[in-house]
Amino acid sequence: MMNEDKLDRILRHDAATAAVADEDFTRRVMERLPPARRAARAWTTPALVMGSAALGSVLAMALAPVPGGVVQAALDIAQLHMLTPAALTAIGIAAAILASAVVLAADPD
Amino acid sequence: MEDRSLQELDRPAPREAEGALPGPSDAELILAVVERDDRRAYALLVGRHQGQVRSVLRRLTKGDAALADDLAQDTFVLAWRNLKRFRFESRFSTWLYRIAFNAWQSEARRKRELPLDDDIREDSAAGACEMPDIVGRVDLERAIATLSEGERAAVAACYYADLSHEEAAAALGMPLGTVKTHVLRAKAKLRARLAPRKDEA
Repeated sequence: MMNEDKLDRILRHDAATAAVADEDFTRRVMERLPPARRAARAWTTPALVMGSAALGSVLAMALAPVPGGVVQAALDIAQLHMLTPAALTAIGIAAAILASAVVLAADPD
Repeated sequence: MEDRSLQELDRPAPREAEGALPGPSDAELILAVVERDDRRAYALLVGRHQGQVRSVLRRLTKGDAALADDLAQDTFVLAWRNLKRFRFESRFSTWLYRIAFNAWQSEARRKRELPLDDDIREDSAAGACEMPDIVGRVDLERAIATLSEGERAAVAACYYADLSHEEAAAALGMPLGTVKTHVLRAKAKLRARLAPRKDEA
């Protein structure tokens, strides 16, 4: 019967020399990978989300049943009347947009 | 001739050691892939590890190179998809082998619905004695092909993938004791099957 050490050496030698040459294998793997995701700049996604949120907020305020809408809110805030319904709505929406900006900035994906 | 082959066996194997590779390390390449979707970095990783992964899979598939390459491709594509989950707790190659073994096990189960621990290869083992007397690697390949699936997997993991018994157990999803038993049985069978031809030579 074959010596155990010899078998060990045979196996290890075979393992060490049995590596298969590439022969286009890497290229075939790379072709099977999912398409590359578009290299989005770091600021584009948050900017798009923020822009959409801001636009939606303005529309919501304009259409909301708040007396005076956007104009009234701007006037109230300018006069430091922060507790009027219009001013509170505007401040609330601004806070929501700011919070979403923070979350987006913190999320690398 | 015998002296020459023994000298070759004693020579240090030209196996690529992960830490001693030229160029960026595996960890650097993985970070480039994860952070920048860098395909060139992944191509380097594939090129670096494909030889060993395909070699292990060829042993597992009893020399079926086409099936082994299909499984190896699946392995690398799956690794790409899951690279973000690689936690650097083990060597990248160990993680790759785990995926490769899973792919092979799924394929084996799909084909024959045989559990990995089954030791029902004695019929093919008997057939091995009638094989033509071809020396060297072919002999070894055929001898390995006659092992049970569990034994073959254990040998492939511990020798061809160069995993420790513990790593092999984790990669194969077997208890450590089972891996050790499979390796012992496999070696006993290989010694018996290779002995007549090798010793006669």
